[in-house]
Amino acid sequence: MNWKIVRVIFANELRMLLRDRRTIVLAILLPLLIYPLMIYATRTTTERRAKNLAATVYQYAVTGSQAEQVRELITRSTEAAARAATPGKNEKSGAADFKLQEVKVEDPAASLKSGEIHFYLEGLSGKEADALPKKAAPLSAEPAVGRSQAKGPDQVAPEPSRLPGVPLIRIYFQGDRDVSQAGSSKMRDLLSRTRRLDRNALLLQHGLPVKPELVMASDETSIARASQVTGSYVGRFLTFILLMFLMSSGSIVAMDSIAGEKERGSIETLLTTAAERMEIVAAKQLSIVTVALVITFFQVANLLAYVNFKLIALPKDWVIEAPPITIVTLLLLFIPLAAFTASILLMISAYAKSYKEAQLYFFPVLLLSWVVALAGVLPGIALRSAIVLVPVANVSVAVREIMVGKFDWPMLASVFAVMVLAAAWALRASANMLSKESLITASEADAADLAGGAALFPKHVLRWYTVMGAVLFAIALNVPQLATFRAQILFNELVIFLGAVLLMIRKYRLNVREALALRPVKPLVWLGVVLAIPSGLVVATGVFRLANLVIPVPQRVLEQFGRELMPKEVPLWQIILLISILPGICEEIAFRGTLLYGLRRKLRPVALALTVGVIFGFFHVALFRILPAAFLGVMLTATALLTGSIFPGMVMHAGSNALGFWLADSGTSVANLGWSWYVAAVAVFALAFYIFYRARTPYPGLRP
Amino acid sequence: MDPVVVRGLSKTFYDEARGEVKAVQEIDFECRAGEIFGLLGANGAGKTTTLRMLSTILTPTGGSATILGHDIAAEPTAVRKCLGFYSATTALYPRLTARETIEFFARINQYAGDVKQRVDYLIERFGISKYASARVDKLSTGMKQKVSIARTVAHDPPILIFDEPTVGLDVLNALEMQDVIREFRSHGKTILFSTHIMSEAEKLCDRIAIIHAGRILACSNLEGLRQVTGERYLEDIFVHYVRGQG
Repeated sequence: MNWKIVRVIFANELRMLLRDRRTIVLAILLPLLIYPLMIYATRTTTERRAKNLAATVYQYAVTGSQAEQVRELITRSTEAAARAATPGKNEKSGAADFKLQEVKVEDPAASLKSGEIHFYLEGLSGKEADALPKKAAPLSAEPAVGRSQAKGPDQVAPEPSRLPGVPLIRIYFQGDRDVSQAGSSKMRDLLSRTRRLDRNALLLQHGLPVKPELVMASDETSIARASQVTGSYVGRFLTFILLMFLMSSGSIVAMDSIAGEKERGSIETLLTTAAERMEIVAAKQLSIVTVALVITFFQVANLLAYVNFKLIALPKDWVIEAPPITIVTLLLLFIPLAAFTASILLMISAYAKSYKEAQLYFFPVLLLSWVVALAGVLPGIALRSAIVLVPVANVSVAVREIMVGKFDWPMLASVFAVMVLAAAWALRASANMLSKESLITASEADAADLAGGAALFPKHVLRWYTVMGAVLFAIALNVPQLATFRAQILFNELVIFLGAVLLMIRKYRLNVREALALRPVKPLVWLGVVLAIPSGLVVATGVFRLANLVIPVPQRVLEQFGRELMPKEVPLWQIILLISILPGICEEIAFRGTLLYGLRRKLRPVALALTVGVIFGFFHVALFRILPAAFLGVMLTATALLTGSIFPGMVMHAGSNALGFWLADSGTSVANLGWSWYVAAVAVFALAFYIFYRARTPYPGLRP
Repeated sequence: MDPVVVRGLSKTFYDEARGEVKAVQEIDFECRAGEIFGLLGANGAGKTTTLRMLSTILTPTGGSATILGHDIAAEPTAVRKCLGFYSATTALYPRLTARETIEFFARINQYAGDVKQRVDYLIERFGISKYASARVDKLSTGMKQKVSIARTVAHDPPILIFDEPTVGLDVLNALEMQDVIREFRSHGKTILFSTHIMSEAEKLCDRIAIIHAGRILACSNLEGLRQVTGERYLEDIFVHYVRGQG
């Protein structure tokens, strides 16, 4: 690596960035104002709301046959709350600062609606409450105070747990009004508290043998220092916040860095100079890291300044301690984090062909980065676990531990090493992308768009299957009418798979014979199919058992699946049609037909079989079915690639499903076989594929 | 040994929609020192792909080529160091000034002499002085063209590649470009020049290779091509070869 060249490009990048006024304003000046303002505004609004609510005198009305008792209860409750109010206790319930005023109104519901009152209470006798239409609720002796949201007095109230004959107080409030909601909530807490006290008093009165020594009180004391408690809060989110700053500031430079150059055409100029790809990438990465760190530094300093000048108030009990060892260790983790972030951003930029495309890729990467950066928030994850190998997530967990004063040096060194390696890998990947011709020369890219029709299909095929998957999931989760055995299979097979395939064929004017691989095969292939059906089923079951060792599937889930798959009310011929013949035809047409055809030139054969198989697996929705289905999918795709035809796969698929059903129906399980059976099945399965190989007629038009 | 030697050079693309595309098929030619060698062909004939392979942007899928003895596949950095590449698609950095642009390319290409002196010379030579401190995005097409040529030769490379340099230029700018290329030849540079404009090739090139569908159909000087085909004008000569191929 020639560092002189790296320096020249680096200086050039920074110079160009500093001349871009729009970037300076958007990346530096605006966030400097916006982030603190956002925090300030949120905090001020929350405080103002709390203040307003505390100052509010809640206007309420009382109605119902038990109105007097309700009034008496409210009076008693407020007096008790006032008596019990001590600075430490009343804060939690807010009972002491709950100012109430009863208002006499003709029609409480109308007054609530018009805003004249904040809420109203309806006192019902036990009889009246019992007569209300009931909703299923477990019986218990908990306070009978109901809370009805946005319902008129004549509507059915959601009934909390209440014994028969117990009077009921229903609180009506306007859920879309903050004050009404807060008032009703406070009233419910107040009444519930009194009910608890009354219940205890009643129990005592009726001779419950309560001896103080038999009732154990509980108290809690945290032995952590205030700084450790603060550290545990800050540490959980510090990596996330920092990563947000790094991503948002770094992306501005990164997106323009390579993707922008591709768009302007200057990347070709740069690539014809004496600079090597790695030197170009290293210089660009350095510029992203520099800008990201500088902007992050400004942001953090800016936030601290706001805190210092009391524009942003930290919680009162927060104590932040940052000894030098903590700061140095954090820096040692954050610098490779910044380098890794920059490398990933550069990868996106190098992969995209235009600025716009880079922005499109940036968003999912940003979301993913949030997920891993929040690893520190998850309870129970310690740095001394496999998390140490996950970039970013390891920093998040490490920072959380450092902030509470826990320094696990071997693991921290591992985090550092993993992050440096990950950053180096991403940097190398970016450099490789600059050598990838399809990514640096856009001239061939639009040929398919111009040609349209079948030429465009490979570009669109994955979109189709994404939509199909989304529809399948959405329907399975949200349309109960299609949740029955028959309806679901018919809809999936005929509408989602077959319907989509027909649409694809029509839209892209595909040659049906080619797109669906409708080709005859050599007779010997059928011998392989006969061998592959039982052996494939056993091998797939073995794969399921192996997967079960890693992610165990509860027995009840399997039993429920079995019941759903073999409903007693459906005739046998229908079951065979639905779980064997239809999937054998429709799923093969969809996966080994159009999907394979669309991807055949995108991927080399092994990657192609794996991709089609894994997509097929994901369409099997239930988590425990994905791996065995994916395994079968890979094998069926390999069969299609070797035989050049969809027909052997169709017979294998239908045969495997039918055999599986027949075995389950006859009470024979292949899930409990000894391992020798699985080994034998693998051997037979391999023999079947050897036959396919010997009698092969390769799938045409594959990527060499 | 000739400064540019191409032997059996091929490039096959794999396009998702079209499958295998043979852009360049086993072409052979050499460029002699101090000559302008023209690659003449219609759009999509394989000119740009050939020149991109020689400038190491693209990797050949077959054959070999050397630039001043450096193999384009084995020593790409050494190859790029001794050539200047100009094409209509090689853009400049809009936020740099003309002077900064030339200086940047002189430095990045590791110009051995005094960079400042070289930049001053080029600014003077190409008449850029008046707008040397202006940002490139403020310049007119003609001005940008001059800056572009200056950045191509900023490190004084012995080999120059011009890929359809007059595309998109008006007549006057195109003529100026031709003068500049002639001047480079007079300074002893070896020039590889691609075009689909017959008159340009006729006026500029010492030798011409007619390229069609990725293959070189003929390679000689204009007189040689006339004698073989019996045609006088390059346009007719070109049609003679392309139709003969078809």
